[in-house]
Formats: sequence, C-alpha cells, structure tokens
Amino acid sequence: MYPIWEVPNLTAGIILALIATFHILPSHFSTSAMWFNVYVETKAYRENRPELLEFIKRYSLLLLVFSYVLGSLSGIGIWYAATVANPRGISGLIHNYVWGWATEWVFFIIEVTGIFIYYYTLGKVDKKTHLKIGWIFAIGSWTTMVIIVGILSFMLSPGKWPETGNFFDGFFNQTYWSQLLMRTTLMFGISAAYAIAVATRIKNEDVKAFITKTASKWGIAGIILGSILLLWYLKTLPARPHELISILAPKTLKTGMIVTAGLLILYFIYAGMKPLSIRLIPAILAIVVIFGGIWSTERIREMIRKPYVISQYMYSNQIIGKAIPAKAVAAEANVINEKGILKVAPFVPEGLKEVNDANALQAGKMIARIECLSCHTLNERGLRPMPQMVKRLEFKKEVEKAKEVEEIEAFLDGLGGYPYMPPFMGTPAEKMALATYLDSLAIIK
Amino acid sequence: MEMGTILKTLQDPMGIPFYPVVFQALMVLTFALHIMFVNFTLGTSFLSVYGYLKGGENWTRLSRSLAKATTVNISMAMLLGVAPLLFVQVVYDPFWYASNTLSAAWVMGFIFIMMLGYSLTYVFYLKRDHKTGGGFAIFGIIAFALFLLSGIIMHALGYQLLQPEKWLNWYIKGNTVDTSGTSLHAFQLPRFLHFIIPSFAMTGIFLMLYAWYFKNRADFDKGYLEWVGKTGAKMAFIFTAIQAVVGFWWLFSLPAGFSFFTNPFFLIGAALGIVLLVFLYNAQKDPVKYAVPGVLGAFLTIFGMSYAREALRMKYLGRFDYSIFNYKLNIDWGSTALFLSTFVMGLLIIGYLLAVAYKSGRTSGEYVATPSMNKWGKISIALLLCWIGIVAGLGIIISVRNYL
Ligand code: HEC
Ligand code: HEM
Repeated sequence: MYPIWEVPNLTAGIILALIATFHILPSHFSTSAMWFNVYVETKAYRENRPELLEFIKRYSLLLLVFSYVLGSLSGIGIWYAATVANPRGISGLIHNYVWGWATEWVFFIIEVTGIFIYYYTLGKVDKKTHLKIGWIFAIGSWTTMVIIVGILSFMLSPGKWPETGNFFDGFFNQTYWSQLLMRTTLMFGISAAYAIAVATRIKNEDVKAFITKTASKWGIAGIILGSILLLWYLKTLPARPHELISILAPKTLKTGMIVTAGLLILYFIYAGMKPLSIRLIPAILAIVVIFGGIWSTERIREMIRKPYVISQYMYSNQIIGKAIPAKAVAAEANVINEKGILKVAPFVPEGLKEVNDANALQAGKMIARIECLSCHTLNERGLRPMPQMVKRLEFKKEVEKAKEVEEIEAFLDGLGGYPYMPPFMGTPAEKMALATYLDSLAIIK
Repeated sequence: MEMGTILKTLQDPMGIPFYPVVFQALMVLTFALHIMFVNFTLGTSFLSVYGYLKGGENWTRLSRSLAKATTVNISMAMLLGVAPLLFVQVVYDPFWYASNTLSAAWVMGFIFIMMLGYSLTYVFYLKRDHKTGGGFAIFGIIAFALFLLSGIIMHALGYQLLQPEKWLNWYIKGNTVDTSGTSLHAFQLPRFLHFIIPSFAMTGIFLMLYAWYFKNRADFDKGYLEWVGKTGAKMAFIFTAIQAVVGFWWLFSLPAGFSFFTNPFFLIGAALGIVLLVFLYNAQKDPVKYAVPGVLGAFLTIFGMSYAREALRMKYLGRFDYSIFNYKLNIDWGSTALFLSTFVMGLLIIGYLLAVAYKSGRTSGEYVATPSMNKWGKISIALLLCWIGIVAGLGIIISVRNYL
C-alpha cells in the first residue's frame, strides 16, 4: 500500500477517467487517419488529381500535432494518473504485461518516426516511397490497438488467466475479439468526422466535396458496424459485469450512447448529400458528440469492473482479493483481518497503528482513505460522497453513541454483499473505528 | 516496520517475467537515449530563441531550423522516455510508486506542463512567418522554461526515490497524513545540473552534425554551414569542460560512505568523458569531419554515465538491502519472445523510415528511391503483415482452445 493522493471532491480516479477519455479522441484518430490518407493519396496518384494532396498535407499536420503532441502526452498521462491513483493496480498490470507494453512501444516508435517522415517528405520523395511510408504507419498504428486491447480487456475479463497465470490466456480473453473489432470499426467513424472538419478548411470545392462524400460513407459504415459489434461485445461480457450494467449504469448513459450513434449517422448522411454546406463549427460539434458517446461507454466500462481494478484479482482499493496460485500470489484478506489494515499498510502514522478510544476517529478516517477512497470522496460533494452515502442508509439517532456505531458495524459486515463493493477488511477494533468515523459524517448536518 | 522490510512488502507479488539484468540493461540503454534527446530538446529550444532574438542572417536561419528540430527532438525524448518509465517500474516499483504518490500533484502537473510546452514549441515554429517582432519570442521562451520545469520535476521524483528513509517524514504529520501531493521534497543541484548542462554540449554536436549533413546540398550556403559547424564545435567543447567540473562537484557531494570515486562504472564513465573532451578539442579545426564520430562518442559517454547513475542507485538502495537481483521470478518465455522478435523487426522497419528521411534530406529536389530501398520498404510492410498474421493466428488458437 502506497501513500494516498486525495483530490478534494473528485478523487484521483476521476482525474484518470478524464484524461483517459480525452485520450481516446487523438488515439483512435491516430490509428485510423492514415487509412483514410493512403486511400485518398492512392486516388490522387492513380487519377492524377494532385489537388487532393492539399488535403493530405492538412490532415497529416492535424494528425501530427493533435495525435502526437496531445495524444502521446495524454497517453503517458493515463499512465501517470494510474500511477498516482492506483499504484498497485498499474504495478499488477505491468508485472504481468511488461513485455506487451514494451512491444507496444516498438510500434509507437514506428508510428512517431513514421508520421514525422510522412508529413515532412510529402512531395520530396517519389510517390511510391511516400505511399509505402503511409502504409507502414497505417498498419503499425493499428497494431498498437491490437496490443492495447488485449491489456484493456484483460482488466475487465481476464479469461483463463486467474487459473493459469499465462500472459496469452489473459490477453486473448473472452472479450478480446469483440472489443478489437468494435474499436476498429468505430475508429473509421472517428477519422471520418475529423476528415470532414479538415475539409471545411479547404478552398477547392471539388476536393472539399470529394473528401466530405468519401468520409460520409466511411462514417456511416463505421458507426453502424461499430454499433452492431458493440452489441456483440456486450454479449461476450462475463456474467458479473453484465449484471452490474443493469444495476449501476444510469439510464442517461445508455440513452447517451444510442442518441450519439443516431445523431452521427444523420450527420454523416447529411454531409454525404450536401458536402459543401458543412461548416467548421458543426463539424467540430460532431466530434464533441463522439466524445460524449465515448465518455458514456468508457464510464460504463469503468463502472462494471467494480469492485475490482483487475477483475478476479485486485479490488479497486488495491487489496488483493483473490489468490493467483499459478504465480504464487496469495490473497490478502486473512492477513489484514488478523493483523489489521493499519498495521499491514506501511504509510500509516505510528499513533494510529493501535486503535483506541482516543484515536478512533482519526484511525477510522485513515481506514476510509485506504479502503474506500478509490470509489467515494470523503467530502460533502463529488464522486459518491461518503457523507451522503451514509445518510442514505438512515441510521437512526440513538441516545447511546455506541448503539449507532454498532449498527454501522453491522452494515460494514455486509459490505461485500453489494455486488460493486469489496468487503471490509480489518480487525474488529478497526471496524469500530471506521464505523465511528462514518457515524461522525452522518451527524455533521 | 523496518524500511528494508517495508520495501520488500511493497514489491509486486507477481514477480517479474524475465531476469532482472535484462530489464536493467534495457532501462539504462533507453534512459541514455532519453536523456540525449532531452539534451537536444533543451539545447535546440534555447538556441532557437537565442538566435531569433539575436537576429542577423545566420542566426535567423539557424533559429528556424532549430525550432523545427525542437519539435522532433521533444517527440523523440518522450518516445524514449516511455521505455525507461516502463522498466523502472518493473524492477524498482516500491521506490517509483512511493516517490510518485508523495508528489502526485506534480506528477500530473508534469503532463500538462509538457502539453503546453510542446504546443508552444509548435506555435514558435509554425507561426513565425506571420509575426516578426521580438515579442514573438515569448512563445519559445515559455516553452523552454516549461521544459526546464519538467526536468526539475523528473529530477525531484528520481531523487526522492533514492531516499526511503525520509518518505514517512514527508508523508506523516503527527497523527494525520498529507495526501495533497503538492510538495516536491528533494532537489540536488549538482545532480540536476549534471543532466542539464550537457544540453548545450550536445546541441553543439547537433550543430556539427547539421553542418555535416547539409554540406552537399546546393541550396545551402557554404559560409553559413561553416559558421554553424564552428559555433557548434566551440559550444560542444566549452560545455563539456563545464560538465566535467559539475561532475566532480556532484561526486564530492555524494555521501562519503559510498566511495563512489572507486566504482568501476563511474571510472569508465568519467574516462569516456575525458576522452570526449580531448576529442572535441581536436574537432575545432574541422567540425564537419568530426561530427559523426563526435555524436557516437558523446552517446557512448552518456551511456557510460547512465550506467554509473544506475550503479549509484544501487549504492543508495543497497543501504536497505534492496537488490533487483533478488526479485521474485515468474519467467514467461512466450511474451519475452514476443517482445524480442518485435524489437528486432522494429529496428529493421525504423531503419527503413530513417533511411528515407536521411536520403531525402540530402537531396535538393525530389528523392527517387533506388531498387534496394524499394525492396527494403516492401520487406518492412510484409514484416508488419506477417506480425499481425502470426499474432492473430496465435490468438485464434488460444481462443478456440479456451472457449470452444
Ligand atoms: C469498488 C468501489 C467501491 C469501494 C472500494 C467502496 N464502495 Fe461504497 N459504493 C460503491 C458504489 C458503486 C456504490 C453505489 C453508489 C450509488 O448507488 O450511487 C456504493 C455505495 C455505498 C454506500 C451506500 C449504500 C446504499 O445501500 O445505498 C455506502 C454507505 C458505502 N458505499 C460505503 C462504503 C465504505 C464504508 C467503503 C470502504 C470500506 C466503500 N463504500 C468502498 C463503490 C465502492
Ligand atoms: C522535456 C521534457 C523532459 C525533461 C527535461 C526530462 C528530464 C529528465 C531528467 C533530468 C532526468 C534525470 C533525473 C535524475 O536522475 O535526477 C530524467 C529521467 C527520466 N525521465 Fe525525463 N524528462 C523529460 C520528459 C520525459 C517524459 C515525457 C518521460 C516519459 C515518457 C520521461 C521519463 C523519464 C524517466 C523514466 C526517467 C528515469 C527515471 C529513473 O530512472 O529514475 N521524461 N528526465
């Protein structure tokens, strides 16, 4: 257990989610844009339409700056945010998948050198060579998706990995293919939306119309296929997350996804019919709509992973919930229940290691920080604020304080019964301390 | 709990999937590459502003080239930072995560500082045609300052990591804890300077390379290139000399118990540094001739110094009986083979890309690929397709076995 980073009202987890969501815009763009580019470039050479190259130039500059400045940095940002929000979680992933990530890194180098050279050598090398660079980039950057999907889907559905501990059993898990194909098709929709936005800046009307029309076809196909594959993906989900979707996902998120898909299809149809009428602002709005849709899906994905950060292995609060015998990793509940969470966790003040009447409140807060903060802020507002959560349970005011605390202790005993929360872990004295702290929250107002 | 015990319990229970010495070697190698491009970034970013403000034909021209070079250098620095970022977390996870969570707000701030700095670098490069006033330099100045700040954060995190004995004091205040992550707790000036001063030496070598690379291009003025080469050689020599002084300052500020001056890694690194200095002294006469061996020699020195830095880390952490060589092993041959083969393939493909860039940059008009270059390109694409075929095949076999 490492030191804790508390972000008032938000939680570190939300910072991670925000960066991760932002990252999707440039990253899915980077994996798909070059396919569109090589298509247009091939056409430009075959049909001798050099004017199309103006689009190529602009589109690749956008790719270079947006994907490889903001995109790479936000990618590193996800990693950094995970590091400070959930260090043991990212550590668990890395210690299993380090070679996966290192492999990803090789393709990352191909991408970055590729895009610089593609952009700066346009018109400076012969056509065939330039197209070759485009192809290398296009294939190489899609490959990064082939890899990262294995690791991402592993976190939610680890397949046979909990039994075998094998890299590839976790990588090619039950949701791997559906998620890979879904993202692959959706990324074409995303690149199409960007292409239309770039086309609005082009003066030559023929080029503009051609690009917009082509993009509209790509967009419609991408969104429709992507939505169908999304349904397949949902079917491949293991039972537990499936159940959680129906419990946790707010209706607004689900409607958000359907409305997004509908709006985008209408937009692409309209763009196909009236390519010259699209202006920059609506084109950017379409990208914002995509962002909203992705935000909904990613939030749902995040929610249904509960109570785990790595499904079937580590809880969101970084405690190892299930043993992985194949890797000689033990679960931690027994040790914690026996010795106490405040003793097992190293970054705890000396004066709180032993709970007594005088320090119960502080010790309780410390326990809440360690075991609950990953999903609840301890402030009044923000992400599932603990004070409101406790009030919701409507513990009755008692004449005797001890009685209130006892009731909350009974609630803590049942915590693991909620499908989305890990069980409370610690000694009876620690449970009392946490209950005292929770009780104090409910009284404030 | 004893700090040594704490560190052991913090280690990831999964163990590591291959021998630690391999991770260490990869970490040091990629760190050396990272810091070399960090140096190029800081140096070219600084000089591009300096040249812009100084004005005159030569400096203005050089400033434009360097502003463009900065955009590439910073990308490379990031790219090559990712690998040591990964490997350091594999073998030094207790230290890395503790240091990062203790200064979490700065860790996140680092990302935004980089984003802003990088974006401003593009503004300074792409928008300079439209504005000519000196005030425009502010974009470049802020970008440089932000990069420097990034370096300060990186350094603080790397230095906090070496001092587990202080972590609890930084985090715990009486009976409560400081969870804000808003402080940087450690900074060591000579160590920091030892990573920053070389920026100017390396950029000197960068200028020598520039003069060498463009020497056959008809559209480059001979006098201009000669001036660039000479300026570069002078910078490289002066700052390498300063760097040697800083190096000794750092050495003497280390805890005496380390006796680091007898450490073989340090001695090799220092010897390489001295050889480089002599070499650069000779390079003053004909910078162009010395450019390529110069950059190779400089990289070798950086690589040696990076190993010395790692040896120093082992000294610091040895105080707590921590050694990466005792890390629990869960050897995984499959994924190790995946990486190593992909790495070799990647070098071939990246080689092709760089070769195209190299040749087109040296050609005044359009570069037309030779048949052997065309073949190399085709092989690169074929390799990528094979890779996908093999991995997908493996995936299908495993999926069928596990789920059908
Ligand atoms: C893995 C994430 C996670 C962790 C860790 C977690 N919770 Fe929760 N908790 C939730 C979710 C999700 C809800 C449901 C929120 C909602 O309905 O809006 C919830 C609801 C609650 C509620 C309200 C229950 C109800 O019936 O409405 C309480 C009280 C609560 N949590 C307390 C705790 C305490 C105390 C801890 C630490 C020991 C904790 N939680 C740890 C995710 C978590
Ligand atoms: C311009 C921006 C950057 C600058 C100026 C910079 C500078 C530095 C410096 C000075 C060090 C050595 C610190 C020390 O040992 O005291 C360092 C180490 C390191 N940097 Fe960077 N860096 C930059 C960007 C990045 C980025 C974007 C990444 C991640 C992708 C990164 C990853 C690393 C890693 C992993 C280490 C080694 C840590 C260790 O081994 O302890 N850096 N950097």
